[in-house]
Formats: sequence, C-alpha cells, structure tokens
Amino acid sequence: MPIILISLLLALGLTGPAAAGPLDGPGAPQALVCSACHGFAGQSQSNTMPILAGMAPWYFKKSIQDYAAGKRTSPEMEPYAKQVLQFGVDDMAAYFAGQKRTASPVKLDSAAVERGRAAAVQCTLCHGVSGKGDPAKGVPDLTGQPPGYLRHQMLLFKADRRSPGDAQLKVIKALMLTIPDEQLADLAQYWSSVR
Amino acid sequence: MTVSTRRAFLQTSGTGLALLAAGCAPKVSDFAQKTGRRVVVIGGGWGGATAAKYVRLADPSIEVVLLEPNKEFVSCPFSNLVLSGVRTIESMTFDYSRLRDHGVRVLHEMATAIEPEARRVKVGDGYLPYDRLIVSPGVEFQWEQVEGLAAAQDRVLHAWKAGPQTVELARQLQSMADGGVFVLTIPPAAYRCPPGPYERTCQVAWYLKTRKPKSKLIVLDANPNLVSKAALFRAAWANYPNIEYRASNKVVKVDPGAREVTTELGDKVKYDVLNLIPPQRAGTIAVQADLVGADKRWCEVNHLTYESVKYKNIHVIGDSTIGLPVPKSGNVANAMGKICAVAVVNLLNDKPVPPMAPGNTCYSWVSDREAIAVVNSYKIEGGKVVQIEQKLTPGQSEMWAQNAVGWANSIWHDMLG
Repeated sequence: MPIILISLLLALGLTGPAAAGPLDGPGAPQALVCSACHGFAGQSQSNTMPILAGMAPWYFKKSIQDYAAGKRTSPEMEPYAKQVLQFGVDDMAAYFAGQKRTASPVKLDSAAVERGRAAAVQCTLCHGVSGKGDPAKGVPDLTGQPPGYLRHQMLLFKADRRSPGDAQLKVIKALMLTIPDEQLADLAQYWSSVR
Repeated sequence: MTVSTRRAFLQTSGTGLALLAAGCAPKVSDFAQKTGRRVVVIGGGWGGATAAKYVRLADPSIEVVLLEPNKEFVSCPFSNLVLSGVRTIESMTFDYSRLRDHGVRVLHEMATAIEPEARRVKVGDGYLPYDRLIVSPGVEFQWEQVEGLAAAQDRVLHAWKAGPQTVELARQLQSMADGGVFVLTIPPAAYRCPPGPYERTCQVAWYLKTRKPKSKLIVLDANPNLVSKAALFRAAWANYPNIEYRASNKVVKVDPGAREVTTELGDKVKYDVLNLIPPQRAGTIAVQADLVGADKRWCEVNHLTYESVKYKNIHVIGDSTIGLPVPKSGNVANAMGKICAVAVVNLLNDKPVPPMAPGNTCYSWVSDREAIAVVNSYKIEGGKVVQIEQKLTPGQSEMWAQNAVGWANSIWHDMLG
C-alpha cells in the first residue's frame, strides 16, 4: 500500500481499534432491536412508526410505560415495551434523546400541508406555535414525525382508544371530536413538515 | 477533506483500498492476505446482510467481507403477495450497493468450506482468512425426505426462497384453468417462517376466489394443526370456502408425471398446480462445516454472542440456528445480525459483550388488504434468551396491513439501506 494512503488511514483513525463507537454506551446495544421498525438510531424510515431520535426522555419513558401497562393498546408495542423496561428504560430514553433527529423521509403533499397550516392554530394552544410541546404540562413535540403516525394517534384520541379515562387527555379528545377526519390528515401533514 | 472523500476512504478501508487504486472489482484472490482485523460473513440474507452492515457501523476499522452468490436480495416476507398479484417481485428486490457504501466488501461468490483451525473460508480455489466468521446460510431443503422430489427439483416448485420460483408459481396459478386444483404441502416444523404457509394459503385462496371461483385449494399439512396464529388464520379462512385444509397429512411422495402426491397415510391427491414446500435443515455450508448438532439439521449457539457451541470464532445466526425460543423469521434473523455484530466487535476489541435480546414482529396478509400479526419479546436470564411475552392482533384489519408495509420498508432499510 502506498505510504501516503497509509498515513491518510492513520489520520482518519481507521487502522487501530475504535474507541467508544456509535453502538457503545448505556442503552445503545439494547436499542438495536428497535431499529427494525424505528430505523437506525431511532430515525424512522416509515410512515407508520414514529421517530425516536431526539425524543424527550420523559415522553419516551411515559410511552413505554403506557404501552407496557396496556393504556396505549398496541399488540406490537406492548411486548417490546416490556422488553425495554427489562433492559432499562432510562438508558434507552437517554440513548434516543441523544440521537440527532432528521425529519421523516415520507413525502408530503404540499396542498395538504397548507390546509393543515391554516387549521393548526387549534393545536398550538397546548403544543405551542412551534409544535415543540411543553414538558411541564406533559405535552409532546409533534414536529417532523411521520404523517401516518400523527394521523393514527389523532384517530385513536378521537375514538377514545388511547389511554381511556386519562383525565389529562380529556381536552384533546374533546377537541379531536370536533375535527373531521380529512382535516386530521391535513394537520398530520402540516406538523410533519414543521422543523 | 470533503465528506465524500472521507466516505470513499471509509468504503475502502483495509485490503479494498489497494483495489480501488487499481480500479478493479474485488475478487477472492484480493483477500488472500489479511492486513488488519477481518470479519467474513457467509450469506447476504436477513441475518448476514444486517450483520455485515452493523459490524461496519460499530467499528469501521474492521474489514468486512460478505460472501453472497446472488447479485440481488429478494425478500421472502411479502413474497406471498406476488402469488396473488397484489405486489410485484421487483417491489421487494434490492441490490447490495448501499452495503458497499458502508464499506462492506461484497463478493458474489459461494463459500464451499470452513477451516476452523486455520480460521479461513474456502471459496473456489482460494481462501479468505478471518478473525471471526459469521455464518448465515438460511435453510436448505431435504429433498431426499420426499420420494421422487430430488429428481424433479426443477419441476416441483417450493417458492420458499423468494425469486424466480415465486414468479413461476404465480404464473402457473394464473395459467390454471378455472375449476383446477392447487395443492400446497407444508413440511413438519421446524421450517423457515412458521406462519408463511398459512399466509400463502390465504393469498392463493383470495386469488382463486376472485379470479377462478370454481377452483379449489387443498392444503396438506404435515403438522397436527396450524403451526402459527392458528385462531387468526382459521377466522380468515372462513372467508375462503375454497380451502380444503387437511392436518396431519405429511406428503412422502411426488409423481410429477401423474400430477399426484402421496401422503404418509397412503392417500393420493391429484393436482393441476403443485407447491411442495420440502422439509428443511440449516444451509449446506453449516452442515458441511459440522456446525449442526446431533440432529444433523440445526446449529446450537451461545445466546449472548451467537458463537457456535462447537467451534470457536464461528458465529451462526438466522434460520440455521436452534435452541432459542424464537421462530425462524426474517425479523429474528435481522435482530440476531445486529446482536452478533456488536458481540463480534466487542470480542475483537477485548471488551465485554453487553446483554442483548432479539425480538420478533411478524405480519401475515390474509387478503389483498388485511393483515394479522404476532409479536414476541425476549429477555436474558441465566445467560439464555427467554420469552417475555407473545401478543397477537385481536383480529385482522387494514391497519395491521399498513403497519406491515411500514415494517417492511423499515427493516429492508435496516438491513440493506
């Protein structure tokens, strides 16, 4: 191998054993099982699974606990939530929170985004104009998530099938009942487009 | 240095760099000498492709050589939809170019022998030395278990490795006269994808019901009942009166000339189109290399590292393994690929292997637009993989089908993207 190439390799640190790699650290190896659906480092590639990268740890933990307890009903997530609790939800929450989020690669419909933008004021009362939510009130970040996931969650709220009986969610469920399903799809498109 | 230049170097670490300088496609002889640490992966399916990619992600200083004879990957999950015409085979066919972008050296060659003492793999006349070997050869068919099958391999379709046989079986189904009989035979467990034959039953029955309403589908199952998602499939089959399901009907003989199969009980069943899924064992290289256990079929492994219980520095993942309470599914093979990759990298770096457990998410399409699912989660207890829970969908719906599409797009990207 030419010497110049060897020195380049050395400069790039490609010849010796790696120091802490991207799959080291608490929670990282155990989170690998999630990437089948949620993408590498929680960067979901699909329309139906949420992005976990950059998710606030409190919301990740609450979601896992709610899935495991059956409050959020999902035959897919209930078993996996129990697996996460087994391996340490705090470590995995911290791991995903530490991953840089890029917005969903799902292609958006620009007309629907604009219709959603016009209707989005009703969401901003709780989620804020930015859509980033308010941890103090238990309100999550909506931005950049896949539109299919956002729409599905709104439909679950509307049908009172997500955490039935949860007093904190009374307001959002009442609001969802006033919104036609087509507009829920537009809102999902809009919040998916927000960075 | 620009990002693209750095990536070019990442792609070509180790031996490959000299090859790029020489401007030629990699050959086995280019890897006869090992300069740094090297992992060789046999098989570019759900397990092997994932493992190759994740070794590179975990430690780019390790050279990874992937041996896979096929130029393209064709997904078995979703391939039953090709039979019903709901999906094209192209929609589930991918090349290995993104793995090359991750720096995996992909050789479209077949491994023919493993020498555990010399720590090298034989490919043609050449050898590839390795530090650690990951064997992910999938399943091979036990042709000899069905009389007449070995001599008729090219005429009796299994379509159990997605590809040309899937397309040919779809063509035969489409060409069958209305009123014809389609016979599907299911081997005894354990075999690749436990619910797969029952999903196939749904897809063929749906196609016949909508296109050839006078036809029927006879399912000859070697097992005493449906092996997976039994209640959900039986509920789905209520919509398909054209299915005649016969449990405990093991097929022992095929006569393509007479278009007839014979069961263990001596019953002869005539067919117009036959799909015979043969009994299975670990891929040939695993048997040749003595990685299989006393049953001569499957490979036992350490539950934390997937290292063979028989040979040091050789790891086995995917459908070839036995002894873990997991199904032979693509999702499990993908999980094993990632866990094994991290284990191998940690072992090569003299670090402890963290406890990691696989998971299983498995959707089955019961019509052109509805699906069901089963999910299994696991923990590690006393050094072994132990199931935490199995959960089924409460019924069939379009929502699970949408989730199935989301799952497929995600996991294909996780393996090959």
